[in-house]
Amino acid sequence: MRLEGQVALVTGGSRGIGKGIVEAFVKEGAKVAFVYNSSKDAADAIVSELSASGEVIAIQADVKSKEAAQKAVDEVLEKWERIDILVNNAGVIRDGLLATMDEDDWCTVIDTNLNSVYNFTQSVMRPMMSQRSGRIINMSSVASEMGNQGQTNYAASKGGINGFTKCLAAEVGRRNITVNAIAPGFIETDMTEAVRNAAEGEIKKAIALRRLGKPEDIASTAVFLASPDASYITGQVIEVDGGLTLGGI
Amino acid sequence: MPTQDEIFKVVQETLEDALGVDDDEVTMDATLQGDLGAESIDFLDILFRLEKGFDIKIPRGELFPENLASADSSFVQDGKVTESGIAQLREKMPHADVDKLAENPAVENIADLFTVRMMVSFLDQKLNG
Repeated sequence: MRLEGQVALVTGGSRGIGKGIVEAFVKEGAKVAFVYNSSKDAADAIVSELSASGEVIAIQADVKSKEAAQKAVDEVLEKWERIDILVNNAGVIRDGLLATMDEDDWCTVIDTNLNSVYNFTQSVMRPMMSQRSGRIINMSSVASEMGNQGQTNYAASKGGINGFTKCLAAEVGRRNITVNAIAPGFIETDMTEAVRNAAEGEIKKAIALRRLGKPEDIASTAVFLASPDASYITGQVIEVDGGLTLGGI
Repeated sequence: MPTQDEIFKVVQETLEDALGVDDDEVTMDATLQGDLGAESIDFLDILFRLEKGFDIKIPRGELFPENLASADSSFVQDGKVTESGIAQLREKMPHADVDKLAENPAVENIADLFTVRMMVSFLDQKLNG
């Protein structure tokens, strides 16, 4: 098991990619705390399903709140006395053309996707610095590079994450903390359901591997980045998109 | 209340741990950046360790003020800290040897204000009043 004895905190862990990461981390021997906001039933189901295979707890928190993030981190430290891996995965979409986008849709996406990364990462800095080790994995998106119509808010949040990832990697490398991002393409989750329903055929044509990704495809990358195999990788944004961004015709 | 010697011992251990230096390198006159190789992230680490070691809270910027040279355009002229800059430093870093900087106020010498002695003196004041 590649993450034996490691303590991980995963935000947005009750659904989609986050859930896939929680499952994969537990399978690899990590003790996992995951944060959920509103999906209590889903979170409880994950805990009861995975408890037989390892240690896992669910923490309710609004990732937009710095205070809530600190509380969640403190809860993990209280229980397991360290945090080895932070996965900033929580994210939402509120697609719409900028010309008519409500301020609320802009702010919700920036606060949930980007400011949450600040909230949680700053809260783990102290324990990771004193441990002299840590892995921070941020969930970006190929949307940060692609120029999709209707995603100014989402792309801005993910582009922000890419810059954050590189700067922080430079700041904390000296403390043996790595910081990387994963930029998934089209993954089969609730978040992409509406787009998939409208244009799945077209989307597949744009993907070199001619299939949509699964949460497991992203989870396996997260396991790799958290594992000793990736100890010399930092400041990278890794596209896991089946070749969607190759851009050829 | 800890004596200066006891404070020095804790500072010495803190710097050994945070910077990976040997105890004989950590003298009272050693500069954190020039002699002990500290970088910006290390200052934060040192602060965290001191807070833990002495069970105190050190407000940000109190022990290690940040962005000293860029605080004000009247601070530096022609690569030298101005008289007004020196006055500002005396106020912000009362435990540092600002007199020594005033003798040769080249801007690159600001880093030499951060010495082990400055830390010990700051902590002595903080802990013993």
